[in-house]
Amino acid sequence: MMLNTTPKIVTEKQRRRRNNLIAWSFITPNFLGFAIFTLVPVIASFVIAFMKWDAFSAPEFVGFENFKSMIHNQTFWISLWNTVYYTIGTVPLTLIAALLLAILLNKKVRGISTFRAAIFFPYVTSLVAIAVVWNMLFHPDMGLINDFLRWIGIDNPPGWTSSSKWAMPAIIIVSVWRGMGYYMVLYLAGLQSIPRELYEAAKIDGANTWQEFRHVTLPMLAPTTFLVLILLTISSFKVFDLIQVMTMGGPGRATNVLVYLIYNEAFVNYDFGFASAISLVLFIIVLGITIIQFRVQEKNTDF
Amino acid sequence: MDASAKTMDTATKSPVMSRKTKEKIGNAITYIFLLLLSLLVLIPFFWMISSSLKQDNQVFSIPMEWIPSKPQWNNFVVIWDQIPLLTFFKNTIFLSVVITIIQVLTSSFAAYGFSKMKFKGRDTLFLAYIGTIAVPWQAYMIPQFIMMREVHLTDTLWSLVLLQAFSAFGVFLMRQFYMSIPEELSEAARVDGLNEYGIYFKIILPLSKPALTTLAVLTFVNTWNDYMGPFIYLNSTEVKTIQLGLRMFVTLYDAQYALIMAASLISIIPIAIVFIFAQRYIIEGIATTGMKG
Amino acid sequence: MKKSLGLIFTLILLMSSVLVGCGSKDTASSDSKDSKDGNEKVTLKVTVWNYDTTPEFKALFTAYEKENPNVTIEPVDIEAAQYDQKLTTMLAGNDDSDVLTMKNLIGYSNYAYRGQLKDMTSYAKTLDEDKYMGTLDYMKDDNGKIYALPYRNDFWVLYYNKKMFDQAGVKYPDNITWEEYRDLAKKLTSGSGDTKVYGAYNHVWRSITNSTAAAQVVGKPDALVKGDYSFIKDMYKTFLGMQEDKSVLDYGTAKSTNTTYASQFETEKAAMLPMGTWYMAGVLNSKNAGKTNVDWAIAPLPQKEKGKVKTWGSPTAFAVNKNAAHSKEAEKFVKWASGEEGAKVVAGVGVVPAYRTDAINETYFKVAGMPSDELSKKAFKTDFFNIEMPMDKNSAAIDKILNEEHDLIMIGENSVDKGLKAMEDRVKSEVLKK
Repeated sequence: MMLNTTPKIVTEKQRRRRNNLIAWSFITPNFLGFAIFTLVPVIASFVIAFMKWDAFSAPEFVGFENFKSMIHNQTFWISLWNTVYYTIGTVPLTLIAALLLAILLNKKVRGISTFRAAIFFPYVTSLVAIAVVWNMLFHPDMGLINDFLRWIGIDNPPGWTSSSKWAMPAIIIVSVWRGMGYYMVLYLAGLQSIPRELYEAAKIDGANTWQEFRHVTLPMLAPTTFLVLILLTISSFKVFDLIQVMTMGGPGRATNVLVYLIYNEAFVNYDFGFASAISLVLFIIVLGITIIQFRVQEKNTDF
Repeated sequence: MDASAKTMDTATKSPVMSRKTKEKIGNAITYIFLLLLSLLVLIPFFWMISSSLKQDNQVFSIPMEWIPSKPQWNNFVVIWDQIPLLTFFKNTIFLSVVITIIQVLTSSFAAYGFSKMKFKGRDTLFLAYIGTIAVPWQAYMIPQFIMMREVHLTDTLWSLVLLQAFSAFGVFLMRQFYMSIPEELSEAARVDGLNEYGIYFKIILPLSKPALTTLAVLTFVNTWNDYMGPFIYLNSTEVKTIQLGLRMFVTLYDAQYALIMAASLISIIPIAIVFIFAQRYIIEGIATTGMKG
Repeated sequence: MKKSLGLIFTLILLMSSVLVGCGSKDTASSDSKDSKDGNEKVTLKVTVWNYDTTPEFKALFTAYEKENPNVTIEPVDIEAAQYDQKLTTMLAGNDDSDVLTMKNLIGYSNYAYRGQLKDMTSYAKTLDEDKYMGTLDYMKDDNGKIYALPYRNDFWVLYYNKKMFDQAGVKYPDNITWEEYRDLAKKLTSGSGDTKVYGAYNHVWRSITNSTAAAQVVGKPDALVKGDYSFIKDMYKTFLGMQEDKSVLDYGTAKSTNTTYASQFETEKAAMLPMGTWYMAGVLNSKNAGKTNVDWAIAPLPQKEKGKVKTWGSPTAFAVNKNAAHSKEAEKFVKWASGEEGAKVVAGVGVVPAYRTDAINETYFKVAGMPSDELSKKAFKTDFFNIEMPMDKNSAAIDKILNEEHDLIMIGENSVDKGLKAMEDRVKSEVLKK
C-alpha cells in the first residue's frame, strides 16, 4: 500500500528487488547443489557436536559435554599444537616458493612449459607413491638427504620421520614440495591479469626490477595472494592424507594433527559427537583467521 | 654472484652491447637454474619411472641404480591384465569431465553474482561458502552418505558428481579473479545499456579465460586423484575409478613396488597431457583478450 | 534428544525429496519384494576385504553356491586398511548387505555393542566349544551373548628358513625361549651392506611384544585392557637388545620404508620370522607363483620359559547384518561356513579354520607345499591360546594409545620403563576413568 502512494520509493525498491533477483539467478545453480550436498550435511554435523552419537543408535543431546571433555583431552592439545606448527611451517614457505616460481616461470623462454609442468607435477603424483619415495629419501642412514647433509659436513644429520623432533619438519618439506606447483598455477593466472601497460609505465618512470616487483606486481597480485593465503591456511589446518601415508601421526603423537584426531575419534572410537565438536572448533579457528585476513585485505586495498 | 659481477663488468666496458649481453647471460642463468630446480623437484618422479622398469627385488637396492640395466617393459603389459584398468579409466574420465564442466560453469556464474553484484546477505552467504571449505570432510561424511542413500544414488557415479561439482572452492577462486577486473569495465558497459547477463557473457567471461582454465585444470586433477570419495560411495567394480584400482593394486601386489609404480605412472599420464595442453591457455589468456586498451 | 535427530533428518529428507520426488516409496516396495522370495532365488551380499588375495572367501562362496543352487553370493570387496571405516559408514546408512565379515575383535566389539548384528547366542550354545579352541568364548559380550561365529582362527608361530639354518649349522628352533631366539638370530646374521642377512625379522606391530607377553606372562585374555603394562618389560628388552645386536632390521627403517614381513622372509633377508598362521597360505602362494623358493617350515612361537607352548591369535568371524535383506538365508550361510563343512573348505586352501578336529588338521597339512615335518605339526598343536585383544568396549581406544607409546619405545625415544609407565598413565586417565 505504501508502495502505491510514493512512486519514487517503489521504483527504488523494485529496482533493488529486481537486482536481487538477477543476483540470485547467477548464484542459484551453484548454490542449490552446494546447499543440498554440502551445507546441510555440515550443519547436521554441527548439531551432532552437541550430542553423543556412535553413528548407529539414536543420538543423545549432551549440551557442551563434548567441548568440556576436549579441554581435559591431552591429545587434543597436542594435535592442536601440531596443526599450528604445521601451518606456520607450511603456509609462508609454500606461498613464497609459489610466488617466486610463478615470476620465474612467467617468461617467454623456450621450453618454459616443460619447466612449469615439472614444478606442477608433484601435485598430481599419487600420494602412496610419494610417501614411499620420500620415506626412502629421508632414511636416516641410507637416504639421499642425509647422504647430502653428511657430504656438506653435517656429522649428525636428523632422524627425520623416525624421530619425534624431526618428523614434522620432514612432513612440512614434503608438503611445500607438493603444494608449491599448485599455488604457482594460481599465481601464474594472477600474473596474466596484470595489464602490460603498467610495466611499460613503470619502465618509463625508470623503475628497476625490484621497484617494478614491489610497486606493480605485488599490489596487483593482492587478490591472488589473498586467495592463496586463505586456501593454504585452510588446507594446512585440514591436513590429513599426507600425514596418514607418511607417518600415521607418529612417532608417538609427534605428527598427530586435528583432522587425524577427528578421524580417529569418529572411526576408531565411534565418538562422532566428540569428533564433530573438534571439527566445530577447527571451523571456528579457521573462520576466525579468515575473517581477520578479510579485514586486513580490506584495509590494504584502500591504498 | 660471479655472473652478476661479469655483467657489471661488461656493462661498464661497452654500454651499447651491455643490454643484449646482460639479457643473454641473464637468460642463461635463469635457464640453468630452472633446469636444476626441475630436476630437483622431479627426483621422486624419476625414482618412480626407474622403479617401474625394475624387478621388485631391485627397487630398494642400495646403491640406487637410476637407469635399470635390464628394463622390464613387461611390467606395463602385466598390469593391464590384472585389473580392469580400462573400465576404471572410463569411469574416471567421465567423472573428471562432467564434474569439471559443471564446476566451471556454475561457479563462474555464481562468482559473478558474488563479486560484481550487490545484494542483501551477500557477504554472509559467501562466508558460508568459505566456512564449509574449512570443515573436514571426515566430519560430515556420514550425514552426507545417509542423505545420498535416501535418494538411492550410492554406488553410482552420479553421487560423486553431485557431491563434488558444486564445491565452494570454485566459487571462491573465480570470485577472487573477478575482483581483480576493474569495476569501471562493467560500469561502462552498464552505461552502454548492457544488462548483467550481457556484461557477464560479453565482458567478464572473455577476460577470465586464464582463471577458467586454471579452475578447470585444478578441478580435473582433484577429481582424478580423489580416493576417499569413490572409496566410500562406490562398491561395484563397474563403477570404480582409477585411484580405487591403484589401491586394489597395492593390496593385490603388496610388496611388488615395480608394478605399483608402473600402475601409478599410467594413472598420471592423462593428467600430464591435460596440464600441458591447458597451460597454454592459462598463459595466453590476456594476450588475446583486449585487456590492453 | 530424539527430537533433534528428527530435526536433522527432516531437514535432510526435505532436501532429498526436492531432489528425487518419490525416493522413499521405492525403498518400501523393493524391500518387501525381497523378503517374499525367501527360499527361491537369493543373492546374498557379503562384505569382504581384498577378495582376490584372500583365498578362503572365494573357496567358501563357490562351495556354498554348489550346495545351494538357489543362492548366489555377491562379495562386496573393500580395501583392507579402511575396511571398518567403510563398513561403519555403510551401516550408519542402513545398508542391507546380508553377511558382514568381522575382521577382528575390535571391529566386532563396536558393531556388536551397538546393536548392528543379529543375536546368534542360542545357536552358538549348541556348538562344541572345544572344537573351536575356545574362540567362541572370546566372542561373548558382557552378557554372554554371541553375535558372530568364527570361521577362521589364526595364531602365532615361528617361521624359519631351513636352508639358512643348515648353512649356519644350527639346530631347528624346537621349543626355544625368547633369549635363545635372540642368540640364534645373532648366529644367523651375516654379511653387510647389500648382502646383509639378518637372523630374524620382528615386524613393527605392537602385538608381537604386547600380546605375546599377555599370553606367556599373564595368561589372561583381558591382560591388555587392565591398565597395567609392566609385564611386557622383558619382551621389549629382548627386542631392543636384538636391534642393538644388529641381528634384525631396526624398527625405524622397517616402519618408514613400509617393509613387509613377506618380502623380508621370501627374499631370504631374514632367517626367522614370528608371524601369524595366515602367512602360511601367503608363502605357499608366492612359491606356487614362482616368486620365491625359500625353503621354509614352522616351529612353535618362542616362549618366556621352556615347556608349555603358549601362543595367541585372533578369530575372524561371520555375522548377520541386523538390516539384512535376506536374514534367514544369511544365517544359514554363517552357520555352514563356521561349521565342519566350512572348516573343510577353509583348511583346503591352506587357511586355519576356527573349527578344528584331527581330520581337519589332516586336510590342512595335505595342502600341496605345506611343510609336513614333525616340528611343523607340533607347532600346530598349542597348549594355551590367548586372545590378541579381548572383546571390550575400550579395546579400540586402548589399542590406539598402546600403539603410540610402542612407537616411542621401539625408536628409542622412551626407555622401556618410561614407555610402559606412559601406557599405564594414559590408559588410566584417558580411557578407564571415563
